[in-house]
Amino acid sequence: MSITRYGYRDAISGFFEFPTDNARRILPKGLEPIEPHHGTSVLAITVFDFDESEVGEYGEVVYAVLVSPLVRDGRLPKGAFYPWQVATTTKAAREHAIERWHLPHWMEDVGVEFVREKGRVTAKVTADGAPAMEMTITDHSWQTVSHLYQSFQQDDTGRYLANILFEGEKSEHEEETGRIVLLDNTFNKDVVISEVYETPFRELWMRNGCQLFDPLAKL
Amino acid sequence: MEAAQKQATEKPEFSEYDYSNFYYGAGDDPLNLLRPFADWFRDARPSGYYLYSEALGSAPTTHVRVKNGKSGRWQELFNLASYNYLGISYRPEVKKAAAEALEKYGLGASGSPILSGTFDVHEVFAAELARFKDKEACIVFPTGYSANVGFISALMRSGDTILLDQYSHASIVDGAILAKSKTVFFRHNNPLDLERKLANVKGKKLVVVEGVYSMDGDMCALPEILEVTKRHGARMLIDEAHSTFLFGQNGRGVAEHFGLDKEVDFHLGTFSKSLGGQGGFVAGTRDLIDYVNAFARSRFFSCNLSPVLTAGLLAALRIAASEPQLRAKLWSNVAFLRRRFAEEGVDIGKSNSQVMPVMVNNDARVLAVAEKIQDRGLFLNPVTYPAVPKHKSRLRISVSAAHTEEDLEAAVQTIAGVLREEGICR
Repeated sequence: MSITRYGYRDAISGFFEFPTDNARRILPKGLEPIEPHHGTSVLAITVFDFDESEVGEYGEVVYAVLVSPLVRDGRLPKGAFYPWQVATTTKAAREHAIERWHLPHWMEDVGVEFVREKGRVTAKVTADGAPAMEMTITDHSWQTVSHLYQSFQQDDTGRYLANILFEGEKSEHEEETGRIVLLDNTFNKDVVISEVYETPFRELWMRNGCQLFDPLAKL
Repeated sequence: MEAAQKQATEKPEFSEYDYSNFYYGAGDDPLNLLRPFADWFRDARPSGYYLYSEALGSAPTTHVRVKNGKSGRWQELFNLASYNYLGISYRPEVKKAAAEALEKYGLGASGSPILSGTFDVHEVFAAELARFKDKEACIVFPTGYSANVGFISALMRSGDTILLDQYSHASIVDGAILAKSKTVFFRHNNPLDLERKLANVKGKKLVVVEGVYSMDGDMCALPEILEVTKRHGARMLIDEAHSTFLFGQNGRGVAEHFGLDKEVDFHLGTFSKSLGGQGGFVAGTRDLIDYVNAFARSRFFSCNLSPVLTAGLLAALRIAASEPQLRAKLWSNVAFLRRRFAEEGVDIGKSNSQVMPVMVNNDARVLAVAEKIQDRGLFLNPVTYPAVPKHKSRLRISVSAAHTEEDLEAAVQTIAGVLREEGICR
């Protein structure tokens, strides 16, 4: 199987500090959370605005924990994630991601709205017909990049690793100018909202780029 | 071509990675950590990382001989990198005291402080230090690192909670890890966030702050943070590594500067910064020091500070205590540099102390900027991610009372000149 391409207009990520106790409740055995501080792990929330894929245009929200990467044979990833909840705006996108990538899914369509302003973008997510999350990410300096990341998945059929190349224009900074509001919604049931720091210590914004997925590797 | 294969064939720039990418490795063999780091460091070192750990071939005075990490040649440089804030470590009285102690005691303590490693000079030094700090007693540790690790783990236990400023020194964090207490970080110098983090904490609580933070050179917002700490029934430790002997009417530190010396529960400091020596200490009540003596494992199970060094520190302490003009000269130099950097448009961030970060704010270029400045005769330290946040890279300056305004003026012109050439300041 060849690589799978997903083109996006915008992909925004916020890295939020939350307790390692919470991270460990989410992670399966064998994956270690990255700790920027002792006792503190990273909740990585990413919202995509895909404009090109095998299943058409769609929006996607990914809740993930930053984990230690699998470093081997000259492949040095920039980072690694364990996505434990992925939600899409279309059924086709959801079924495709479950079948192709074994990604754990929120099984209903969600609403994703991007509000673009100069130097900032806000993603508003609704689930179960109610607001669930609102995240604002700001920009810094832009550069064209090609960065390798790893995504670990696990379901009833086994454990998997996806190598994903992110290409496009990227802004990354730690100015602490972004913000998240996590609302009381079952969409956020796996995190203790009061223990998630509402300002991201790192903000990433990719635009006009693509994700290139290697064929899934079974671990 | 597969995504990862493409990444492998198009070798990324060394600057796309940093130390944080090499903390974890694959497989069951600890040696697996080595190769990815070695491959990266092979490129990183000649590209600028050679600026770290350059050897000095002279005393850390205002001018030093430095072996260039790239060329291997010795350079004569104006020293803005060494701590030595009061310029005491190479004073004749200090060297004489150390030399006489070497003659009397030989090289080292040859034992743990609780067994055979305590000498008369240690007792005199601890007593005079306690008087200087206006406390009942002091206990001395072999390093500042071991003072934090030993003190925090001596006092706190599993089930307790330690609240740390997010910019806490590694020795404080490691002390909390060793204590096995729950560790909670609050936003830097932010009493509101500390209030939030303390709100639901039960049991024993310790809040740890630093008098001056070592990467930004900003002082602790002590009155506000102490008020929150007390209101929640927590105890406070202040690490005055960069502020003892400098701040306050008598040089006792930032707690004295704010008139809160008696309100802060635990006082810790070091001898490597202001005195240019080595070691750390905790000052407090007799009962506290007796308890720390019994339970600080980092001290208990280390060889005591050498009596040679201790004798030199005793002489240095007496100078610091009796020559307040050294502090006055330091603050005069700090004021001069602050004014001149402002006039030249050089950003020194939030510094309000003798630790001054010259903000470069460009992770990819900070090493090249530092190299250029070193080639023009200045010795200072580049600091980049992950030691500081992304895009907050800087050159760290340590101001000394021994610097002259003429030398500082020349340094300002060199730094501002390079930053202008690089488009970093106006």
